[in-house]
Formats: sequence, C-alpha cells, structure tokens
Amino acid sequence: MTLRYPESKLDLPPGYRYPSSGYKGRHVLNMAKCIGDAICELACRNITGAIKMVKAEGEFPRNRRLTFPQLDYGLCVFCGFCVDACAFGALTMSSDYELSVYEKGALTYTPQMLASPPIDRGNSRFVVAKSQAYHVQA
Amino acid sequence: MLAFPEPLMDALRVLIFPGLGFSLMFVLFMVWYERKLLAKVQVRVGPLYAGRFEGILQPIADFIKLLLKEIIVPRQADRLLFLLAPTMMMGLSVSLLALIPLSPSFAITDSSVGVLIALALLSLSPLAIVIAAWASNNKFSLIGGLRALHQMTSYAIPLSFSILGVVIMAGSLSLVSIVESQRNTWFVLLQPIGAVVFFLATLAELERVPFDIPEAETEIVMGWETEYSGINYGIIMTAAYVKFYALAVIFTELFLGGWLGPAPIPPPLWTIIKTFLVVTLMMIPRGVYPRLRIDQMFKLGWTWLLPLSLVNIAVVLVEVEVLG
Amino acid sequence: MSELELSIGPQHPGSGHFRLIVHVDGDIIVRATPDPGYVHRGIEKQAEYREYLQNIPLLERPVISDSNGSVYGYVLAVEKLAGVEIPQRAQYIRVMMAELNRIMSHLYWLAIYGIFLGHSTMFMWPFGDREVLIDLAQRVMGTRLTYSFFVPGGVRTDLPDGFKDDALRAITFLESRLPEYDAIFINNPLFTQRTKGVGVLRSEDAIRLGVVGPTLRGSGINADVRKDEPYDAYDQMDFDIPSFQEGDCYSRSLVRIEEIKQSTRIIRQILEAIPSGPFRAKQPALLKPPKGSVYSRVEAARGTYAYFITSKGAKAPYRLKISSPSFRNLPAFPFLMKGSHLADMPTIYWSLDYWPLEADR
Repeated sequence: MTLRYPESKLDLPPGYRYPSSGYKGRHVLNMAKCIGDAICELACRNITGAIKMVKAEGEFPRNRRLTFPQLDYGLCVFCGFCVDACAFGALTMSSDYELSVYEKGALTYTPQMLASPPIDRGNSRFVVAKSQAYHVQA
Repeated sequence: MLAFPEPLMDALRVLIFPGLGFSLMFVLFMVWYERKLLAKVQVRVGPLYAGRFEGILQPIADFIKLLLKEIIVPRQADRLLFLLAPTMMMGLSVSLLALIPLSPSFAITDSSVGVLIALALLSLSPLAIVIAAWASNNKFSLIGGLRALHQMTSYAIPLSFSILGVVIMAGSLSLVSIVESQRNTWFVLLQPIGAVVFFLATLAELERVPFDIPEAETEIVMGWETEYSGINYGIIMTAAYVKFYALAVIFTELFLGGWLGPAPIPPPLWTIIKTFLVVTLMMIPRGVYPRLRIDQMFKLGWTWLLPLSLVNIAVVLVEVEVLG
Repeated sequence: MSELELSIGPQHPGSGHFRLIVHVDGDIIVRATPDPGYVHRGIEKQAEYREYLQNIPLLERPVISDSNGSVYGYVLAVEKLAGVEIPQRAQYIRVMMAELNRIMSHLYWLAIYGIFLGHSTMFMWPFGDREVLIDLAQRVMGTRLTYSFFVPGGVRTDLPDGFKDDALRAITFLESRLPEYDAIFINNPLFTQRTKGVGVLRSEDAIRLGVVGPTLRGSGINADVRKDEPYDAYDQMDFDIPSFQEGDCYSRSLVRIEEIKQSTRIIRQILEAIPSGPFRAKQPALLKPPKGSVYSRVEAARGTYAYFITSKGAKAPYRLKISSPSFRNLPAFPFLMKGSHLADMPTIYWSLDYWPLEADR
C-alpha cells in the first residue's frame, strides 16, 4: 500500500468550489470575475489573516479599485471559508498541493501567481478492492 | 588447495573467510534482509532507493551516516567507561567469530572446548552492558542495564542446559565433532525440546522481540543505549548483529547438522544456507509479537525453560542408553 | 529500599506531549502524578475573538484525530442557541461523517497501542487501513484530517457522485480486515498476557472518578450519549453499545474494537436510508445568536464532549467552555498506576486513550 512518491503521485478529485465538494489545495483566482469587495479577507481575518488585499495592474472592468487578494500560504490552513464567502465564484481551490519553497517570502502568492492555472501531476490511482487496497499507475 | 604458507592461510581465514570480512558482509546483508522481511510482513516496502537493487546499499549508507555524526558524551558521565563499553561488546562478539567453523577446512580454530568458550564469552556480555548503563549517568539507562543483566543471566542457564544435552549426545565439546556426530540424524529430530529451549534462550540473549525489554522504547527510551550516538551506537549495533550471526551459526551446528548435506553444494555453503534459514526464523517474531513484561519474562525463563531443559537432558540420557 | 523518581516527560518517545512523574521502587510504581499543561494554548480564550463560524477551524485543531466528533458538539450548541432547524439530509450526513471519524480515531488508537507495547506490525497495519478511510473523507470534505465540514445549519457541501459505491467498498474492506486484527493483535497470547488483569477499574471506582467514554464502558457501565440523549439522526439508527465487565486494559481494547464494528453498521444503515433534500439550512454567515447560555453533549471517539456557550448577542461568544474526555479521564492515572509494574505504565496510559492536546486545550 505504499505510494512511491515522487515517482507516482495521486490522481486527485478536482478542486473545491462551493457548494460542490472537491480537494482543498492551492487557490485559483479568476481576476476577470473578482470585484475586489474583500469579503474573502473578512472571512479569513479572524481565522488566520492569510488574505491581504493588494493593488494590481491591468485592465479589469469589474474591479474599479483594482484590489485583489494576496494569499500567504505560511498562514493559510486551507479551511476554504474564503471560497465559501466569494459570491461571484472568483476564488476557488485546485488540487495543487506541492507548495514547498526554500525561503519563507516565496510563500506569499500575489494575485497574478494565484491566477495561473493549476498543474495536474497525478498519475496513479488508489484502488480499494474487497480485502486489499493498492495503487495502480494510471 | 594452493600451497600457501601456513601463517598466510591463517591470516586469510581470520580476516577474509570465514572470519571478519565474510562475517561483516553477512551482517550487512542481514540488516538489509531484516528490514525487507519486516516490511513485507507489514505491507510496506522497506529500503528502496539506496543502491540499484531495492536499497541493498542501505546498511552501508546508514553506517556512513553514523560515522559522520557527533559522538555526544554526557558531561557527568564516566568518560573512559562510556567510550570503552561498546568496544568491549565488539570484542566479545568478534571473538565469538573465531570459535565457529563453517566447515572442517574453513575453520579458524577447532578448539576441543569450543562450545564452553562460546558460552563463557556470552556470559560476559551483561558485564559490558552494565558498564555502559552505569557510565551513562542516566536513570533510564540504569534501569535498562539492570533489566539486561537480569534477563541475560536468567536465560544463560537454560541455554547452557540445552547445550549440555547436545554435548552429552555428541560426547565432545568441540563444534567439529558435534557436527560430525550428526551424520545419521540431526539433533533437532532427536532432541526437539532442547532445540526450542535454545532458540528461545538465544532470542533472550540477543535482546530481540519479544525479549527486547532492556531497550523498551516507550518506558525507558532505548534503555542502556539511550546516551549513545554516532559511531559509538554503530559499534553497539554491529556487535549485536555479529553476536546474532554467531549464535545462529552455533544453532545450526548444534542442532541442524552444520555443513552436512548432499554433494554438489560445498559444505561451507550448506552452513550458510542453514544459518540463513535460522536467521529468518529468529527475525519473524519481531513482526508478530509485542514485548514481554519483565516479570513475565522471568516466569518464562525460570518456570518453563529451565524445567524443560532438564526434561530434555533426561530424554537425551535415555536416548543415549537405548540407541547407543 | 529507596525510590527512584522518573520523569516520563514531554521529550520522551512514550509519552506524547505530557509529563508523568513516576516514583518507582524496584519495578513497582509507588506514585504516579500526571502533570498536564505542556501544550496549553488558550483555545477557550482565543474562541472569544472569533465569530461563531470562524471558531470551527480553531476548535477542530486540538482534537486532530477525531475532529468531526468534537466540532459536532460545538455546532449543536450554536444551533440550539440560535434556534436553527437542521434538514434531514444534513443530519444523516453528519452522523455518517462522525462515525467515519470514530473508526479513524480507533484505528489510530490501535496503532499507537502497538508502539507502546512494542509490536511494530500493530502500528503499521491500522495506519495503512486508515488511509482508505482518509481517502474517502478527502473525497467528500476536501482535506485529510482537518475538515471544517460541520457548520451551524448543516454541512458545507453535498456528497459527491459515486460516494455510495466508494463508501461501501471502503466499509467492506474494513470489515474484512477486522477478523485479521482479531487473529493477530487481539488474540495474540502475548497481548492478552500484557493487558489482562492490568489496570483494573471497577465500576464503582469508575463512577467515583468520573471517567467517560470507552474507559467507562470497559468497566461495565453502559452509558453513551448517543443512546441516553440522542442528537441528530441517532435515534433512528439501530446499533448496540458494547460494554465489558472486567475493567482491565483488555476489556477497554475490546470495547473500542466492538465500537468500530458498530460504526460500520451505522454507516451501512445511513447509506441505505439517506434522504435527499437540502444539506444546509439558510443561515447568515455572521451569526448573532440571542442572549443566553446553552449546554450540549456529544459522544466522540474518546468519550463525551460537552460545550457550554454563553452569548451576549455579539458576533463572538462571550464564554466558550470545552469539557474534553481526556481531561475527565485524568483522575484515573494516579489511581490505576499505583502498585503496577513500570512496564504497565504505557499499557494503562494508552488504554485510557489520553490525548494531551485536547486535555490541555
């Protein structure tokens, strides 16, 4: 039942979008839908305070103040309440979990970094049979 | 055989085969083998990445890692004894290697009292352990060392009595003659009780599960080995595994007929194959049993193994009378 | 004979984050004094600075191996305070997730018991089998251990498609492993030798000391909040409460193994009978319950969780008091360990299923 990581990586369900279930990994920000109302920052403020609103450059007709959320993964606990709070579906979560870095400053993801699409690296499935469970390389 | 001068043949036997070189290689193989065997029992994989084939170089990698670590000597420990005790254990284990012949032509010595010397060396190991435990200046080490002392002295007696049964039947204390007298039948068939008693007493002498009470991790944090780090600890571990190998070979030669076996396989290879089977049998309880409590260990040793070994001697005497 | 004072302290492979001061005379323990508080983080005080919804990630962290069970009590208390009606489907989903977490916690307990007794296979197998359940939980709730799934009003998301087949396969797999556990771990002659007759807690002492959970049920008292004051859908489920008379470590272990079997029974019933409908009652995110106090109890894997919340109409609770089963089981430590062998210390300690994080909060 051993998964030989990093040669095999689990194939995960798609990311979390309220109200359907999904894997809570790295957040994905759809900058075209975000209006900058900072509800996600309000939801996170007392939990860990991982979201800060910052200014970003670019042409975003729906976001007059040009403020977008910036996530600090050193503080985030991946509870997903920010995703629940976003009424416009701009903030969702993906199944990207490999976020390790060498220095702490690199854990802060700017809105542009959050907007990049997630990479799906999964290549093996976890199979539960009648009396044994194992991994198969997909 | 090639006509080498005798001292060179002696040196080759001591250092290469069947002495230090071969034994240390076999010990490295045993460490890897134990980890793989337990992994298969426990539905996991074991060493995998060190070395091309399934992590075969993992023990060497561990040894190099231990060499590079710092040897921490606690400030109030008795420095000389602390550093001396592992060397004592290594000396005991390696001297055991000199007494076990792998076959009549590949023997370092063939002393006429070989078994007795092996038993005497084994009885010295509690001394080294108590020295290590006392010199560590640590309450947990002290408890562990005293537990090891009690365990090893309790189980030395059934060990000696089961060897006594074999010696009576073979009529000699020399390992070569004991194996020679098993030409007709192996002693494990003639004295199975003795074999079982010897097996269990060996597990207790080696501090293997279910008898690893002296190093019961969850109460006394590695017992008498608590303060040892770096190559000091590496020496203790190597000494333990060399003793394991030596006792497994002794079991093979006392009960399983040593190097006796049909022709195409050379005699030393027979010894090695049978030792390998014995080692596997001794490693399997590690995956199956929890640890015993110390008073249960005493009960097992004194109220079960000791009477059984005496019964075994009675059976041996009857067999020697009847079968001649 | 003089005594030796051992500090089985926080930096010890056999004690978790918990100090136990043990006075030993030879091999017999004369006095054992627990010294909790190493991981006290002020959870109850921190809860006063967070809104009711934001308390959920905070409160599930102390109890990491059974997070659903403890948050359940908090969520029921808030719902009682705010007067919220839970839809049927949400009740069934919550009961199923709580029972799943109970099985996971008991497998974790079995594994660590293996470490404490020196049985390495008893450590590996339950952890491997727990992975099947964690995978199932991840499919539903998105994370492996800290779910934040129960909210006042119901649950956060619905069950995904194909969940019933996955869950049935996982439960069948688990039920096929339980006879193997019986054969190798529970009926192991050395295991019975180590645990039978050790740490005997008679029923009158259990009531006097105030222990809860499987510790209480292993002493012959058949008390379980799920049957005494049923909450959510437990009154419609058909299950038994195992209890054994002897009160030693062996009967406490048997209680937990039997509870795993009963939990699989409950999960199967839920998978058959789950109704469709909404999974969350409409509630504002910024919940401001009316003034008042409320007390609620649930039965988590380790015992009874009780919450007492006082609200003054603000968006954060005025006082949140948590009563955790590990803290309630603490008086049993000095009582049981006196007069036992030193090697029985880990056996008794872990059979009480003491989790330092939730005892210290």
